Parts: sequence; C-alpha cells; structure tokens
Amino acid sequence: MSVTRDDVLRIARLAELDVDEEGLPALAEQMSRILDYVAQLSAAPASEAVRPFVPGPDAIRFRPDEVKPWPLAVGPAEIAPAFKGGFFVVPKLDQFE
Amino acid sequence: MNEAKAAADRLVKAKRLNALLTPVKELRKALDAQATVARPTGVLYGMPVAVKDNICTLEFTTTCGSKILEGYRSPYEATVITKLKAAGALIAGKTNCDEFAMGSSTEHSAYGRSVHPLDKTRVPGGSSGGSAALVAAGAVPAALGSETGGSVRQPASFCGVVGIKPTYGRVSRYGLVAFGSSLDQIGAFGRSVHDAARVLSVISGRDPKDATCEDRDPLRLPTVPESLQGFVIGLPREYFPADLDPAVRRACDRAVRLMKEQGAAVREVSLPHTQYAVPTYYVIAPAEASSNLARFDGVRYGPRAAGAADVRALYRATRGAGFGAEVRRRILVGTYVLSAGYYDAYYRRAQQMRALIVQDFRNAFDRGVDLLFTPTTPSPAFKAGEKLADPVSMYLSDIFTVTANLAGLPAISLPIGRVKGLPLGGQFIGQAFLEDEMIEAAYALERVVPATEEA
Repeated sequence: MSVTRDDVLRIARLAELDVDEEGLPALAEQMSRILDYVAQLSAAPASEAVRPFVPGPDAIRFRPDEVKPWPLAVGPAEIAPAFKGGFFVVPKLDQFE
Repeated sequence: MNEAKAAADRLVKAKRLNALLTPVKELRKALDAQATVARPTGVLYGMPVAVKDNICTLEFTTTCGSKILEGYRSPYEATVITKLKAAGALIAGKTNCDEFAMGSSTEHSAYGRSVHPLDKTRVPGGSSGGSAALVAAGAVPAALGSETGGSVRQPASFCGVVGIKPTYGRVSRYGLVAFGSSLDQIGAFGRSVHDAARVLSVISGRDPKDATCEDRDPLRLPTVPESLQGFVIGLPREYFPADLDPAVRRACDRAVRLMKEQGAAVREVSLPHTQYAVPTYYVIAPAEASSNLARFDGVRYGPRAAGAADVRALYRATRGAGFGAEVRRRILVGTYVLSAGYYDAYYRRAQQMRALIVQDFRNAFDRGVDLLFTPTTPSPAFKAGEKLADPVSMYLSDIFTVTANLAGLPAISLPIGRVKGLPLGGQFIGQAFLEDEMIEAAYALERVVPATEEA
C-alpha cells in the first residue's frame, strides 16, 4: 500500500486540514507505513458474519425533551473568536464543492 | 487549610518534570479558593488531585496539550471534577499530556515533553504522562488521566505508580474532550492501590449528562483481602511471547509466584486474536478521532487563523496551524479509513476484529477465570526521541493495554519490580463492572510484591 502525495492532498481536503508542501513526502511515507501495518487485518481469519461490537448500555436512555436554560459559566460571546448579535461570525462560503 | 499551600509547594518543587501546565500563581490562587469552600465531611477532604488537561475545569484552562485550544477556558466543568470537589478534594492544576491524548510518551504535547521522574533522558509514558510523573514524584497523592488505548496504565507502569482504567460506562465522560468515543474512559492514578481506588470510587456512578454512563451506583471499595484464596488468575499466553524481554518475564513470574503463595489458582489461557489488537485499535481510534476533532475549526472557541477569505479556508488554516504532527497524521489516517472505497476494507474489518477480541475475553472468563494477569508494557520507560520518527513503533508500546479498551473491560496496573533501575507494571484485567474483585487482587499483590527491587 503506497499513499501518494495526491492521496494525502485529497484526504487533507476531506479532513479540512491544510498540509504544508514540504511536509508532504514525509507524511505520505508515514501514512503508507501506518496503513501497511493495519492492512494485516485483511489477512486475519474473520467471518463476514461477525457483528461489530458496540460498547456501552444496551439501550440508549432518553432524557425528557424539554427546553432548559443552558448551564454555562460564560456565554459564547466570551469564548468565540468573533460573535455578533447572537451569531458566530465567519467569512462567507466562496463556493460549494 | 494549610493543605492548599503545602500542595502548591510540592507541585512547584516538581517543576523540572514539565508535568504541570498551570502557572504557579494561578495554581496557588485556585487552591486557596477551593480550600476555603471544601467540605470537611468529604471522603477526600483536603486531597490534592491533579487533572489531565483534556478534562474540562472552570478554574483552569483546558488545552488538551494542543495549540488549537491555547488559552481555552471551558464554560462548564466535567462531572468527575464536580464529584471530586463534592468529596472535598482540591483540583491541583492541569497536567501535561500528548496532544488530544494521542501518543504514548507525552512528547506530542504542544507545551514541551514531560520528563520521567527517575531519569530525565526518558519519557514518563503517555498520553497521561504528566499525571503519572507528578504522582510518582510525590507532588500529588493522586491524579486523573484518561484512557483510549492504555494512556493511564502505560505511564503508570513507566513511572512506578498505580493506574486504574474502569469499565466503559463506569465513569461519566461529560466534560472529557472526546478522542475515541467507543473507547475513552477517565481513570485514576495513585501512589497506592488504595489512593487510586478511592478516587475512582468518588468519580464513578451514574450521570444523566452522559448517555454512555451506566445507571449504576458508585463503585464500593472492597476491603483488603486476607489472601487470594478462591481467586482464579488467568495468564494469557499471547501476552508472554517468546521474544518478551527476559527481565519483564522475570518480574511477572515473581508476581505470579507470590500470588500462588497467597492461595490463588493460576492457569494459562489463550486470547487468540490478541495479535490483531493494535492494528484494530489504530483503525478504530483514528476513525473516531477524525470525526470528534472536526469540531475544532476556529469558529466557536479557541484561536482562529487570521486572514482567511472563505469559511473553508478558515477551517483549513486554523486546523493546519493548530494541530501537531501526530494529531494531523491520525486525522488523515482516520479520514482515509472512513473514505469511500476503503471503509469496508479497513473500518468494517476492524469492527469485526474488535468483536472477536471481545469474544476471546468472554471465552476466558466463561471458563472460570476471575482475572487475567499480564505485563502492562513490553519494556520499562524508553528514551525520549527513541520512537518519534516511527509512529508504528510508538503504537506497539500499547500492545498489552489496548485490548482492555477495545473490550471495554476494567484494568489496573501496579508496580511489580524494577528493570535496570526503572519501574515496571503488571496489570490485572477484570470482568465488566467487577472492579472490586480486580482491586482486591491488586491489594493482595501490592502487599507482597517487592515493587522497588530488581526483577
């Protein structure tokens, strides 16, 4: 399994993550090694019928669906990088992909 | 309470470890303020407890060892923190860790590596390395860490302290910054089994704020048993491979002999899918991490990259500048294994393997074994920098710990001897929600094992 430079760029785009140009070859090499290592799973003897394991309580407990005050020590206006009139402020979306 | 000043003084003395991220002034102020309101009737009254920096607190910043949360103050606190305070404990600052708990050495922290308390050229383990180092140095009697693949037990083994990871669902994760949601649990460090266990007992129990936390009463502390009569201890042969470090084997053999002398029945068992545990973990954990860490985008909290023209450029620039190398790698690997065309080959396959690993444990326990005993780590603490260039070799230091996380089982690491002067841990893996049995066995072994003697 060899991850190419273009693969890293494609995945980085999906992950909304800038990767710097000079780091790309090393990143591709490390990802290849990690993916090679985990690829041994495909050689493992496991039947397709095995059901995936999900930990935790058998049934999800639901809370009453009610409107309650948000118990925060400080509001979003104090921790957000930019906040105005009840909204988080961001630059506009240039284009849809 | 003079305890607040004494606690701060002890932490300041351990400064060389770079284990505490909280500035001294802030620490003293917060400890004083807590001491004046601490409830004298609480079972942990006056006990300073340091907290890993991925657990939200109101008193201190919560950075997860990352630049992307530099200076972040959570607007709420974790349930475990509320419970500790209600028991009279003092929250004694935030401890250094691998960024977002991803790592096994505390070298992947944006705030510098933590140092092993006995040898400054070595790592304290990770990801909860700061917590383990502070407890080992005697700076605090107990600390909180978190586990996704062994991040409490592995540093406990390296530093020579006790580390407990409870059953998945035993402790609320409300306010724990999520890494791998099907694996994460908050755990406790102590200088003794009793210290770690009583902290665990306080933080355990139901919490309506966390749907994955089971509706159970807090853990009741067992008493120290007279002997191990009646205990059946299983030794999984896959955890004692032919190439296991002979000193590690000697330490385990000695511990097993001491357990037998105390009346335990010991038998060999097999967990045949163990060899696939690390690759399974390194598919599932990055996959979940890539999803959980999507929330760090510079919009609602944390620093934001300046000058982005468009919102997606804002996300990318903030995340690209904010995450360190290991976190970036794991986000990319996680995104890759979940992407179209690869999901079945990697992620689905790993989930199936996880089910087989769980079944291995069920089979062992069904055959009458109460607890499993294994080395916690394949070696004592390694040198700083030794595994940084090769992520896979770093991942393999979790080889004996990841299985309990994959299966959601409780496990405890306690010191069982020294290897070339460095501490080494042995671990018990218990059955789900039977932490009390596991703690009993740990009490009994702790009493007799020469933990500071060469194996």
